[in-house]
Amino acid sequence: MATQGLTTDLPVLGRLRRQGLMVGAAGLILGAIGAFAQPDQFMPAWLIGFTFCLGLSLGCLAMLMIQHMSGGRWGLVARRVFEAGSRLLPYCLLLYIPIGVMLPKLYIWARPAAVQADHILVLKQPYLNVPFALVRAAIYFGVWIFCMWHLNRWSVRQDRGEVAVTPADMRRFRVISAPGLLAYVILMTFASVDWLMSLDPRWYSTIFGFIVVVGQGLAALSLAAVSLALLAPYDPLARYLKPVHVHDIGKLTLAFVMLWAYMSFSQFLIIWAGNLPEEIPFYLVRMRSGWQYVSLLLALGHFALPFCLLLSRDLKRHPRLLARVALFILAMRLLDLIWIVAPNFNQNGFPIHWMDVSIPVGLAGVWVFLFAAAGH
Amino acid sequence: MADPALHGVLAEFDNPTSLLNAAHKAREAGYRDLDAFTPYPIEEISDAIGFHDRRLSKIVLGGGLAGMLAGYGLQYWVHAVTYPINVAGKPPNSWPQFVPVTFELTILFSALAAVIGMIVLNGLPMPYHPVFNVPRFSNASRDRFFLLVEATDPKFDRKQTMDFLKTLQAREVSEVEP
Amino acid sequence: MDPKPATYEPPPLIAPGHSFASVTDKIAAIVLSGRQPMGWFIGVTIGFAITMVLMGALTYLLIKGTGIWGINIPVGWGFAIINFVWWIGIGHAGTLISAILLLLKQGWRTSINRFAEAMTLFAVMCAGVFPLIHTGRPWLAAYWLFPYPSSMSIWPQFRSPLIWDVFAVSTYFTVSLLFWYVGLIPDLATLRDRAKRRSLQIIYGVFALGWRGSVKHWDRYEQAYLLLAGLATPLVLSVHTVVSFDFAIGIVPGWHTTIFPPYFVAGAIYDGFAMVLTLAIPLRWMYGLQDFITLRHLENMAKVTLVTGLIVGYGYLMEAFFGWYSANTYEGFMIWNRMTGPYWPMYWVLVFCNIITPQWLWFRRVRTTPGLLFCVAMVVNIGMWLERFVIVVTSLHRDFLPSAWGMYHGTIWDWATFIGTLGLFVTLFFLFIRVLPMISIFEMRTLVPEAKVQGAEGH
Repeated sequence: MATQGLTTDLPVLGRLRRQGLMVGAAGLILGAIGAFAQPDQFMPAWLIGFTFCLGLSLGCLAMLMIQHMSGGRWGLVARRVFEAGSRLLPYCLLLYIPIGVMLPKLYIWARPAAVQADHILVLKQPYLNVPFALVRAAIYFGVWIFCMWHLNRWSVRQDRGEVAVTPADMRRFRVISAPGLLAYVILMTFASVDWLMSLDPRWYSTIFGFIVVVGQGLAALSLAAVSLALLAPYDPLARYLKPVHVHDIGKLTLAFVMLWAYMSFSQFLIIWAGNLPEEIPFYLVRMRSGWQYVSLLLALGHFALPFCLLLSRDLKRHPRLLARVALFILAMRLLDLIWIVAPNFNQNGFPIHWMDVSIPVGLAGVWVFLFAAAGH
Repeated sequence: MADPALHGVLAEFDNPTSLLNAAHKAREAGYRDLDAFTPYPIEEISDAIGFHDRRLSKIVLGGGLAGMLAGYGLQYWVHAVTYPINVAGKPPNSWPQFVPVTFELTILFSALAAVIGMIVLNGLPMPYHPVFNVPRFSNASRDRFFLLVEATDPKFDRKQTMDFLKTLQAREVSEVEP
Repeated sequence: MDPKPATYEPPPLIAPGHSFASVTDKIAAIVLSGRQPMGWFIGVTIGFAITMVLMGALTYLLIKGTGIWGINIPVGWGFAIINFVWWIGIGHAGTLISAILLLLKQGWRTSINRFAEAMTLFAVMCAGVFPLIHTGRPWLAAYWLFPYPSSMSIWPQFRSPLIWDVFAVSTYFTVSLLFWYVGLIPDLATLRDRAKRRSLQIIYGVFALGWRGSVKHWDRYEQAYLLLAGLATPLVLSVHTVVSFDFAIGIVPGWHTTIFPPYFVAGAIYDGFAMVLTLAIPLRWMYGLQDFITLRHLENMAKVTLVTGLIVGYGYLMEAFFGWYSANTYEGFMIWNRMTGPYWPMYWVLVFCNIITPQWLWFRRVRTTPGLLFCVAMVVNIGMWLERFVIVVTSLHRDFLPSAWGMYHGTIWDWATFIGTLGLFVTLFFLFIRVLPMISIFEMRTLVPEAKVQGAEGH
């Protein structure tokens, strides 16, 4: 049965757990070494890892809620993946704790001396201050975990057969999902201000929340594509999964790739043309001292290449090929987050620090381990 | 055994399933120059008569590339070659600001290629066609389904083909004057 | 146990009891019978009379120049751009229904796509009036709008979003027209075959291009139609994006903000769906089309309206929050002035129309009661016009220097032109339903139960 797809202990899941654990351990050991060798680099790298894992979990939650609202065959097979991914939100909360404790390490606005020296930061202090930032983080996680918990709990009850699957029963999912989606988008927008945008407290962009939200959706879809390809050869999915399902996931992935590019380019064009002193530094930093190559790589790898590949109908219907593209997109998601966070810290020299990669990969490895173990 | 006095033989059906079965049987019987007429698109039937044409997407791709090059080329030529002026301190080749027009022309050329390509490949406009000579054919745009065996088919024979079609539960079988 | 309830069947998209013939005859008869309900005559009369107001206003404009309008320094952009953006936005729902819902395989688009596409075309025409006349000297527009080797050797400025607009809107009109016409070809063939009068047979026959319903033609036709849908989808997003760039590329506070592209697109779809509802609800009643445009259609459209309305609300929230968060004097003043300055009633009425009113659509009862839905849609239409007014006027009327502050009001000629385009729209729409099938006949046939091929013997 499709419902038990992830609950059975398939060998592929065991392999995934071991691989996740190994990658996670390796990345985190490297990270721990780095923490002593170059302590300043640790927190930015942790932030990248946190936002990457959060993107996976929240993207899954959002896709789950969209699926409850819209229905559709793609959701039928991917729903278990999204549920499993969303259940890791508490792990993301755990990852946030070091950030919450070390806010002044990351954010200028959390250092009282720096705030007093800067007129703009004083003006923004009612929003950008440590206690309020922590309260907000608690609200964000509270609402997200609330939605996640209910949607998963009801789903498990249905699976066990405790509750009959009737339209009336399905209605409950929608009652949570509709306001839940709205709350997710609004809260994630403010969270993206708190955690990413305010790394440079002078910069602002009203579309930034949407870009982050779309990136999270894309990450979840890519995750679904990879998971389905891994599970496809095994019963129960082998009996249920048809090319149309994979095709639908592929089409949605293409749509999100295009949406991400559309919003990112709109932001760039408007800021580049306006050339205002508050806004343009964001791009000036990312257009010199090595970052221009990363920007170019993002434009090609996060948009052009997957876009051209995903136009192909045959590729979208082929689970393993689609999974390869999806893995590549996930790597690009990480690069995008590095591109957002890291330039605020390494102003000179080679742009991407090795810890910016090793710690996020390590945290994501643990995430995958938990994800593969979370089917129960 | 082509028959110059005839365009072909037309069989009428009143539902898509009979037409599909008939098309399969005609194909099995060895007929190749088949055509079918339906009041709305039915994918299975073009499969059944063995028709495949995948040229259109290539034509559209060509149109899109032409539009893209034309769009960017025009702007580049105007602002970087023939009339470079400094506006808002932007470089002559202000590529981010050339994206929207390039995009629009890509879409415009692709869409024109799609429509013109479809019309030309279909051989339209064609005001006269022999099947219109069959009086009941006007129902092909209402509620009837037709199968045509063309006289150019090597297996075509006026008598045999008509008899064959009558065995396929056709409502009516008629000859099509050229 | 299946994770989704297998028992839940949504209500059908077409009332039971219809056949290929009944669908064809019922829709074709609206055009071919020559009989129109009383509402048609009333509508076309009123529409035509108002179109004459437009003609009068345009004539006076060409004689006198733009001095007859309310625009002046500092508000140099007034009704012309407000109306342009409003009309273009209305057009977007048509493309969304015909293209995006086709790609998403949403069967419910079928009975509303034809007239929604027609609505797109007429809305774009009405929109196009304003850029053409906004200088008062339309015959001079050619050389700065279109790239041709003029004797002055000068070229359009391609860095300007206003030129992007020219390309976006003309591409949009062309592609919408192609899409609409391609969709019409099989139906024109139906009308050709069903018409009794020789003259009608010839006219419909010419435009039907000799369509005979060959499956070989259908095969390429479907490919072309899908490709067009795939092209129209990014196009429709790009058009309102470019319209938003008209504002966002500059550095005027309240205009220069990165949320504008998705926010404008959502606003356009929001307004467009409200307009489709405004048209569909009276039409289905006038022509007795409740079998084809069912409550399910209305409910789905209401849902799209609600979702896009929420995105628009998100846009307002972002504008307000970042107005403060930017810590920029001008940004902060702009949003404060919008809410409490001289135009405060406009802002709060727009919040009422665009954010508070659509919340009624959360209730199924409202979504499935045509009368209530019509009222909500009308309020949204008004609200979205006000939104463009607020964006255009409140940002301009308080310039950077207080000595350059001023106020703006539309004159009687501004209003005459705006209301006149409403008349033009209504007239064109009524003429369309008189001469062309307002519901796609061949696509409706695919919804008839017997349209499904039974027991297909493999492929």
